[in-house]
Amino acid sequence: MSISAPISSAEPPVAVWSQTDGNNAKISLMGKINVYSLGGVWTQIRAAQNAWLKQGASQSLVLDASQISSLDGAGIAFLIGVEEVQQKAGGKFEIVGLDARYQPLLKEFDPISNLFPVPAVIPKRSFIVSTGMAAQNLIDDARGLITFTGHLTADLVWSIRNIKQVRWGDFVNAAVEAGINALPIVGLVSFLIGVILSFQAAIGMKQFGAESFVGPLAALGIVREMGPLITAILLAGRSSAAFAAEIGTMTVNSEVDALVSGGLSPIRFLVVPRVLAGILVMPILTLYADIISIIASMFTMLAYGIPFINFYNGMLAAVDIEDISSGLIKATLFGVVVSAVGCLRGMQTGTGAAAVGISATRAVVSSIVMIVLVDGVFAFISYKTGF
Amino acid sequence: MDTTNNNSSNTTYAIDVQNLTVGYGSNVLMKDLNFTVNNGEIFVILGGSGCGKSSLLKNLFGLYQPLAGDVLIEGQNITAAQGAERQKIMTSFGVMYQQGALFGSMNLLENVTLFMEEYTELTQDQMDLLARCKLDLVGLLPYETYMPSEISGGMQKRAAIARAMALDPKILFLDEPSAGLDPITSADLDSTILDLSKNLGITFVIVSHELASIYAIADKVIMLDKGAKGIIAEGDPKVLRDTSTDPRVHQFFNRIMSKDVA
Repeated sequence: MSISAPISSAEPPVAVWSQTDGNNAKISLMGKINVYSLGGVWTQIRAAQNAWLKQGASQSLVLDASQISSLDGAGIAFLIGVEEVQQKAGGKFEIVGLDARYQPLLKEFDPISNLFPVPAVIPKRSFIVSTGMAAQNLIDDARGLITFTGHLTADLVWSIRNIKQVRWGDFVNAAVEAGINALPIVGLVSFLIGVILSFQAAIGMKQFGAESFVGPLAALGIVREMGPLITAILLAGRSSAAFAAEIGTMTVNSEVDALVSGGLSPIRFLVVPRVLAGILVMPILTLYADIISIIASMFTMLAYGIPFINFYNGMLAAVDIEDISSGLIKATLFGVVVSAVGCLRGMQTGTGAAAVGISATRAVVSSIVMIVLVDGVFAFISYKTGF
Repeated sequence: MDTTNNNSSNTTYAIDVQNLTVGYGSNVLMKDLNFTVNNGEIFVILGGSGCGKSSLLKNLFGLYQPLAGDVLIEGQNITAAQGAERQKIMTSFGVMYQQGALFGSMNLLENVTLFMEEYTELTQDQMDLLARCKLDLVGLLPYETYMPSEISGGMQKRAAIARAMALDPKILFLDEPSAGLDPITSADLDSTILDLSKNLGITFVIVSHELASIYAIADKVIMLDKGAKGIIAEGDPKVLRDTSTDPRVHQFFNRIMSKDVA
């Protein structure tokens, strides 16, 4: 006769395995059988049962429950777990001394085989299938983007024709959130960009005694490229993600469905005001970023002995109004793309809290990819046309 | 842990509410509430929409701090408890929220096993079996691998009850468990609640509007009223229905329209 050792020294064990011979064994339960006291003991009993079952056939196990002071759902699951192993091995199982009030609960789970489902085999996808599926996803995504662009264009045209029906309240809220509230961060980052750009350029140019050309160089780079780009990336991080999360939460809460079933177009209602806000704030923010960057550059060059007036004259010679307007037009395009992509990702949100997070992430990533694309196309056009 | 159904030791109530004031800031919903819930009792909180039933419930299980007063859970003051002591009280009960509040990134089985993973030393297989038992009790066994977003609202509520029972708590707080369920599922749920109460001695504190369900399961009800900012009726629901002279109580239990009272 072997008796298993108690698992915890502090508390007496709630279950003890004892075996009279190869064919007969007994589990004695005692005290409070619950989800905490079974920890460890359960594993121990099951290990003993397995070892015993390996010894021979037609074995009979008795579970003595007469000394139980309390039993809860976990205790019942334990009984079922032991019984199932016994059933599978073709052995006998009997519970003796179980209080009548626990019987109905045990019966609830008949037949217990339902509680032990056969684990489903997940079919492994071949390389070709998964490649095909990835390609299909890409095509679906592109199709979604094109459809959305079409709808949005139509609704933007509609909003010009029905200017009074646009939700100007939402537009103002979005413009304040994406524009005015973005001023500090845009200012900070563009100041830094102005300093770094001119400082790095000055180090190189100094070797040739050409510090005086840093001003025109930095100013041109800022108004044509850096200003719009930095502002757009900041807008993508702040507002595109915010639009996606906002519309995504509305999608999760069926608010978008409520608009559709009420006969309203969610694009007209939710997307148009936000895209219009993007169109308004991007050029303004960009102009602001240009000015801050150039001021930062001026101060940096002052440290290299270039007075403000020299910087200013050099800049006027290099930068003309076309450069500035080219940057601002590009910024406007970025504004459309960033706000529209944020809204699109919001509308594509699945279900659940995690889906909103995924949408916000996708909004930022897609916005930045689109910024790069638009910038590339714009650079090509301006190179060909000289604008 | 006393799981017997007799309340011979009346010195400790499952829940003892003393001079509890419920509200938000200066907005007082309920003033000076006093009531007790016995061990193994099915206790139902009633009242019209917006009278503060759910807020009261959240004060009872310590999610919100009451404006004044104390809540004793099995003799321990949850209002004053801090840190590890508070956590210990928190594991002695389970909560089902009105909207289910299942974790969206986990399937139903994982939702139920989550608290077991944190608080017990069971193995994954053992926890899975336990969780399946809980899901079986609420009739959701075939759906264990489903995500919460893939099942209906009523099923989410039932899954939330299964999760609340994960650690076999002695007290279960259910916020409108049968609202939105079909009559058959609702009746099944009532019978599960009765079974658990009778056989395992679990105490239930339930917020509910469903009169049929209340008559079927409630040992004791309290009825709250927005105007009175307190309890206007207390006792057996059938007795209240038949004998109460308070027009508000009479109206509630007999489903009389407001315009017919005025």
